[in-house]
Amino acid sequence: MRRVAVIGVGVTQFGRHERTSAELFAEAAADALADAEMPAARVQALYYGNVVGGETEKQLHTGPQAASVLGIPTVPTTRFETACASSHAAFRHAVMEIASGASDVVLVGGAERVLNVPTADSTEYFAYASDASWEQTLGLTFPGVFALVARAHMHKYGTTEEQMAAVAVKNHKHGVLNPKAQFRKEITLDTVLKSPMVADPLKLYDCCPFTDGGAALVLVSEEVARRSRRPIWVLASAAASDWMLIGDKRDLSRVPATERAAAAAYRQAGIGPHDVDVVELHDCFTIAEIVATEGLGLFEPGAGGLAAEKGWTSLGGQIPVNPSGGLKAKGHPIGATGAAQICEVVTQLRGEAGPRQVEGARRGLTHTLGGNTATVLVSLFGRE
Amino acid sequence: MSESSQGKDTSGVTLGRFFAQAREGALTGIRCVGCGALAVPPKELCPECGARRWEPVPLSGEGTIASYTVIRVAPRGHAGDAPYAIAAVRLREGVSLLGRVVDVPLEALAVGLPVRFRPIVVKDRPAIAFGPA
Ligand SMILES: [Zn+2]
Repeated sequence: MRRVAVIGVGVTQFGRHERTSAELFAEAAADALADAEMPAARVQALYYGNVVGGETEKQLHTGPQAASVLGIPTVPTTRFETACASSHAAFRHAVMEIASGASDVVLVGGAERVLNVPTADSTEYFAYASDASWEQTLGLTFPGVFALVARAHMHKYGTTEEQMAAVAVKNHKHGVLNPKAQFRKEITLDTVLKSPMVADPLKLYDCCPFTDGGAALVLVSEEVARRSRRPIWVLASAAASDWMLIGDKRDLSRVPATERAAAAAYRQAGIGPHDVDVVELHDCFTIAEIVATEGLGLFEPGAGGLAAEKGWTSLGGQIPVNPSGGLKAKGHPIGATGAAQICEVVTQLRGEAGPRQVEGARRGLTHTLGGNTATVLVSLFGRE
Repeated sequence: MSESSQGKDTSGVTLGRFFAQAREGALTGIRCVGCGALAVPPKELCPECGARRWEPVPLSGEGTIASYTVIRVAPRGHAGDAPYAIAAVRLREGVSLLGRVVDVPLEALAVGLPVRFRPIVVKDRPAIAFGPA
């Protein structure tokens, strides 16, 4: 298999936009191509993530639409849908297309538009990622899924609502340093703890926002990367799945797909969790970050809450998690999220993250979770 | 005769039939004829042993809450019901089901609380619920 590198990244402002998801993707992709100093004509394929386009924009076939709006209508284009992990899944398949020798230059990205519909509707559309017969009928929501995880984690390990709130406080603090973030405002523990309950025990500030946005990156073979200014190498990209139904998951305090994807990624790269300097992980809810830091092996099972509370995952801590502000503060345009996380880690490894730079970061990890914890992707990146 | 050609639709418990029976108050799981693994429908192959032969098995509907939440911000179609409780319930037989919790005060919800299945209809569709044991 050939080595693969990221040589260009682009991310739109996250927040509310009056443009279509295809336009948002196109802006990010053009920025990524410019960053890579790569002519669009050399792109051989587009791997694209978009989740609820059918619902919020009444738009299917979003892959070729995105390619057309970007101005590369003739490249082979495929849209991936693995709920919130869609563009990370797209990334993994693009890595394989290049590693296999099929292509040398591939564009990866995603975009989402959700703030054009009322919250009750977006809540319903996001719930489509849970089982239609068993779960949607009950009125299960996305926060509800992670509320079940939170309650199980609290029961098993004694994790507290204050520890979950500490994740939100930390990610908001990081978000202040990210000009692309949806929220650039520090909050206190009290802000979180006194915010309205959404799905007990998760409160409004335990939840990431609905977000419009796009992200893209240029992925190339080693031969092409050698001629670029500052390639960041893909050390591993792994995926894992788990039971779809909440009822079929044996232990709700864990996300086994995270553990399996992480184990596979560490094996591919020949490194372990303690070789990683910076992490962008899927904090769709505060409890999700806690469980992910455990599943990725950064902390022992049950210690994720303490790690957040003690500041071990803050910028300047032993392993900075979500220096971008994470989904919580940067925002979560679901189809774009995986690609945006990769863009952040690439920026960090280039040493170009400005005030949120993790000093001397050499290796980074991205973790993206799909919907009801049934999909997880983990990728590892390095300067060398 | 190959395993696959004998194995089709052995349990008879399709998703539609499961919920039709649930509506009448009966929960029917499926048990792998090959290894005895218990599951909820629909499943084609046994995730434990790979066999394709299932038999229906009645479930007691008795269990305990493994985790729970109270949905306060509901999807469009359920907005009128909020707040409502949803729990993952581990049944005595070892399988777990997600369901609404009804007739239990929200503040009485707890991990380990014994509950019993009862059918409900949500927006004209049969669904799983649990009430006091
Ligand atoms: Zn079996």
